[in-house]
Amino acid sequence: MFFKNLIIKIAFYLYNNPNYKQVKKFFFNILQNPDYKYKKYFDSFMISLILVSIGILVYEVKHPVDPWVDDFDIYLVTSIFLLEYLLRFWVYNDLHTLIIREHEESTFLGRPFNLWYPMKIFFREKWSHITSPSAIIDLLAILPAYRPLRVLRIFVLFRVFKLLRYTKSIHQFIEVLATKRFELYTLLFLLLFIVLTAGIAIYVFEDQSNPNIDSLFDALYWALVTISTVGYGDISPVSPEGRVVSMLIIISGIAMISFVTSVIVSAFSEKLTELKENRIIEEINKNEAFIIICGYGQMTRMFLKNSDLLRTEYVIIEKEINRVELGVKEGYNIIHDDASKHDVISRFNIAYAQITILALTGSDVNNIYISLNAKALSRNIKVIARASNRNMEKKCKLAGVDHVVLPNMAANHMLLFAITQPTIYRAIYNILTNQHLAHIDEVKSVTHLKLVGKRVDEICFKSYKLLLLGIQASNSSPFCFNPPSSRVIEEGDILLVMGRKMSIDYFQTIFQEV
Amino acid sequence: MHRTKIFIFGYSKRSIFLTKSLHTKEFRITIVVSNQEEYQNAQKEGFMDIVVIDMTDDNLLYSLDAKPIDDLVCVVEDSHFNVFLTLSLHAIYPQNRIIALSDSFHTTQKLKMAGASKVIDLYQVSSNRIYNILNKPVTTHFIDSLLSFEDDLSLREITIPDNSFLDKVMVDDFDFSAHKIILIGMIDRRLSEQFLFITSGIEHRLDRGDVLVCMGYNEDLDRFGKFILE
Repeated sequence: MFFKNLIIKIAFYLYNNPNYKQVKKFFFNILQNPDYKYKKYFDSFMISLILVSIGILVYEVKHPVDPWVDDFDIYLVTSIFLLEYLLRFWVYNDLHTLIIREHEESTFLGRPFNLWYPMKIFFREKWSHITSPSAIIDLLAILPAYRPLRVLRIFVLFRVFKLLRYTKSIHQFIEVLATKRFELYTLLFLLLFIVLTAGIAIYVFEDQSNPNIDSLFDALYWALVTISTVGYGDISPVSPEGRVVSMLIIISGIAMISFVTSVIVSAFSEKLTELKENRIIEEINKNEAFIIICGYGQMTRMFLKNSDLLRTEYVIIEKEINRVELGVKEGYNIIHDDASKHDVISRFNIAYAQITILALTGSDVNNIYISLNAKALSRNIKVIARASNRNMEKKCKLAGVDHVVLPNMAANHMLLFAITQPTIYRAIYNILTNQHLAHIDEVKSVTHLKLVGKRVDEICFKSYKLLLLGIQASNSSPFCFNPPSSRVIEEGDILLVMGRKMSIDYFQTIFQEV
Repeated sequence: MHRTKIFIFGYSKRSIFLTKSLHTKEFRITIVVSNQEEYQNAQKEGFMDIVVIDMTDDNLLYSLDAKPIDDLVCVVEDSHFNVFLTLSLHAIYPQNRIIALSDSFHTTQKLKMAGASKVIDLYQVSSNRIYNILNKPVTTHFIDSLLSFEDDLSLREITIPDNSFLDKVMVDDFDFSAHKIILIGMIDRRLSEQFLFITSGIEHRLDRGDVLVCMGYNEDLDRFGKFILE
């Protein structure tokens, strides 16, 4: 009883210990989570280590190496591989959560706590991990370090196989082939059947007449070498019957190779789009911040056209195939899928990246659904949605949208200015479209420290052909429009200036702290 | 200053706000539609002057009898037809100002070629707003304040009257900030009828009849408007 209580106490201690959880999560992410931003560095490190280790073992076959090189391979490389193996074993599952679950269930049902039950699940899960192909490869990759047994050096091959774990292209190649498993198995059985038939036939016909065929093994070897179109020439038929078998097997071989090639090619062509899309998602997930644009219509095209200087990476999701094709043709990273589906957005690195979703489809219903879907996945996802009118704007706000854009309203405002105040129209148009002499930009005093401590009139914005529109202080004080000349610029202030883009760039260069 | 009449061709969700705003500003509006559905929608909103015609028929367009000072606004939802209508109107009323709504960069080019004096892209302003939201939060807030009818900050045209103290004064010699306003640009009638931004760096002399475009709070703009009339 004391022992069981102690076990439960330890389980709860581990469950509630933030440091333990943090450390385990860190190792889980770095070993298993493909979306974790530091995993790529770990993978690169392991690949380098594997290549160095293979290099040493291969070089050693014919050349003597310095003892320190051997020590490096035996102690450092192998220790790292061993440590990795143990860490993978550790992070695979948690015993304490299973114990807590069993404890809660037993308390709730009023039955005695059974330690064996969580242990059984724990060991079964661990066993499934140990016997998984990747874990076996990891274990076997440690063995070549044992130098006294030279035969163990063949396990260097497992270090090569270990590369599979860190290279996604090979993984994808295997996954693609796996989709044609049925066709490939059928061809394999056909191949075995032909090899066996031809082997037996040549053995029966030429056992006596052909000095190179001593056994059935020789006959099967000849059949395989011939059907593969390799034809070493060490064994060749000598009787007319044998030659007939050869001709038949050569024709079958050519047909088989064509068949296998076409199966592999069709597997790749079927999966090509998916592979490309997966690659796009993998690439975008490596960024700390990115934008997901939902819908590839006129609005998105205009946004991308105007956002040449957009510093954040982005990906487009469009559900209509003809629009996807157009997007691909125009050179954008575009995925054919429905952004309103939970699974589609959850493929992105929601846990670690700062994601902004632009719901820019032509349908208010879709935009609201996309926004709700994103906010349901994570409140941290920032959503900017398009709406057709003020009523929809209210609904978007209720759905948790952070910013709503109303293209119809904005265009109508512009039409109104064009009709009622034609002089102002040009000023407004240039300001709103950030063009020509009305480019508005933000100059941050944090990155332009030479501005700090200066009075507004000391800076002489006019000499830079700029207008100072206002200053936003770093504290929560309201925006100061047209600040007085005596206003002193403080650290953290953001200056809103208007002018040509080149004037603003020049101004920023002058006041940038070197 | 207001134009005598505005013809709005087309009635849809794209233009409903414009039509209502012009209506409340007491402009004389004629809505021209091509089907009964649009007609009924416009009627439901309380518009009285609605004409249903086949807009492909030049004779019917001619019968609208627009005067050269009238504005023609093309906001038909079908962009192909909007371009065709702009072309037809430009052919029939070559002196009129035609303002058209476009839904893409390519349509904008075609509308300009068809004779539209001003083309407003449905998405250009919004796409730039998204860019600002993503990269320039202070700018976004500032522009929103400038455009919001509820906020005090606005742009205003102020014409320099005859015998004004500003007549023959160089822009640099007058301190607009003392009046808590910013001079954004002007129409310098000595040079052209075009609006010129002050950030161009050209030194302007103010003359009577010049139009100043100032930015500021309504209260300060009102005060400055009265001040230059004194």
